[in-house]
Amino acid sequence: MEKSDIFCRLTQAVIDMDATRAAEAAAAVIQHNVDPYEAIIEGLAKGMDKVNELFENEEYFVPEILLCADAMNAGIDVLRPYLPKETTWNKKKVVIGVVKGDTHDIGKNLVKIMLDNAGFEMHDLGRNVPYAKFVDIAGELKADLVCLSTLMTTTMDGMQVIIEDLKKAGIASRVMVGGGPISPGFAKNIGADGYAKNATEAVKVAKGLFQEIHVPLILKTPELVSVRRGQEGVR
Amino acid sequence: MKSKDEITPKERMLAILQGKEVDRLLVSPLILNFASRSLNFSVRDFCTNGENMGNANIACFKKYRHDIVYLFSTTSTLAEAMGTKMYFPEDDAPQVETPFIRTREDLKKLKPVNPEKDGRLPVYLEAVRRCVDAIGNEVFIVPVIGAPFTTSAALRGTEIFIKELYTDTELVHTLMKVATQSVKNLIDAYVKAGGVPVTVEPVATGSMISERHFREFVLPYLKEVYAHIHSYNLPGVLHICGKTRRVIQCMAESGADILSIDNIDLLEAKELVGVKVCLMGNVSPADGMLKGNPEIINDMVKECVAKASDNPKGFIVATGCEVPIHTPHENMVAFLEAGRRYARLPINLN
Repeated sequence: MEKSDIFCRLTQAVIDMDATRAAEAAAAVIQHNVDPYEAIIEGLAKGMDKVNELFENEEYFVPEILLCADAMNAGIDVLRPYLPKETTWNKKKVVIGVVKGDTHDIGKNLVKIMLDNAGFEMHDLGRNVPYAKFVDIAGELKADLVCLSTLMTTTMDGMQVIIEDLKKAGIASRVMVGGGPISPGFAKNIGADGYAKNATEAVKVAKGLFQEIHVPLILKTPELVSVRRGQEGVR
Repeated sequence: MKSKDEITPKERMLAILQGKEVDRLLVSPLILNFASRSLNFSVRDFCTNGENMGNANIACFKKYRHDIVYLFSTTSTLAEAMGTKMYFPEDDAPQVETPFIRTREDLKKLKPVNPEKDGRLPVYLEAVRRCVDAIGNEVFIVPVIGAPFTTSAALRGTEIFIKELYTDTELVHTLMKVATQSVKNLIDAYVKAGGVPVTVEPVATGSMISERHFREFVLPYLKEVYAHIHSYNLPGVLHICGKTRRVIQCMAESGADILSIDNIDLLEAKELVGVKVCLMGNVSPADGMLKGNPEIINDMVKECVAKASDNPKGFIVATGCEVPIHTPHENMVAFLEAGRRYARLPINLN
């Protein structure tokens, strides 16, 4: 089988929201000694790029994105054991979470999926995240970007507190905000570096903040898993 | 605030429903948990106690004389009464903590609500009765019900539930059927208590699902709900916030008589569905009510009236979604004053 055929199958499986076919195509990658990293970039990630486009054109909505991401992850799960253990890609580190007082996390999850696919190293703090946790983790990781999300008017002011606390702590991370009640004007007033009205725009804005962005790599980083463990029970 | 109105909100609403001449359009900001402020209750104390919820809304009405008194704390109240566990912040609306239907096995435990007994529904019923007793001669008391799709999402967990539109449609329909029956049971109870129930379906917003899914999974059940409401000779009201351009045609096909909308241009909404339904909206809750000032709010109200007051099936001046609980009093006054001024008939915006 041609390498390009396998990549096409990976791409199409993601677009079709088909986790089974994505895993099968990923198994074919290994069988035919194709470079798993290349398969991710040229196959699965290409699929998510197309999904991103479909979302932007309002052909795909939230359920579709979630299922496409599941398909992509099913492919990655098969390929992961065959990837080099230590990756030293110069990825931008992003800390993301829903601010304290709010448990609505679908928007945040979409942004995470899209930024992950666009080559950012995502650290998901979950939902209802205390202000101090954003500051602590951003400092610890020397995060390049902190993404704050909320759906509620009662919690939006927390974003300003976090931005001020980051400054006070001398953390140079840039901050992007978004969510139902958030407007560009509000984002500017609280001193955010970026605002995105949806997940695809979040990618553009984040990339705009870091012109020198490197090769995309979709791998979920191991520490992401440990950070997330603290907030299970979600959903 | 003293009202300059000559007739009561109830007289105005009745006149409009009967197509009679009236002094002005309805002015109805979505005062929900914000009502707690009128008696300085925390939202938790407000929404877990029928006496508090009722009294705060009575006090709030006496203060602002808004045209519709809504009773509401969260869109998940019905799911809560069916078994979903909620988290109650000290001073904010309750949110879903643990959905009831964790596995397919749990479906066996699912049954329609008994509004007199289940969850916080008795709190609402008591609040409705108190409001009807105290101010029901002047204003309609309107309890807000989470519609079937929103209730089902809160029963199952929204993220899993919307994926199941693809992966387990049978489960989706099972949930929707029971949720619809619960909605109908609650409508019956509210009507019996003297309320005029309305429904909100925010999870079916165009920011979330496609029109195709709306038609397949949301619309049939909404039709059933509004047919039920119509059997009481009451108008059907459907509120969906977020972006609704993609689904507003479906909303207008649901049988609802009034659409309460948020993030859509009123001119566009009027164009798309104005011959079918009365529109209601859409001053921004965040940029207007919470973060704006009286001048900004005045302009926003004026713009809404300019765009939609000539809607063929009528227009109600409202906020796009819930008035934030921390909205300054002067902003609420500004909204109502601007509404009373610009929505006076015949419309003259100068």
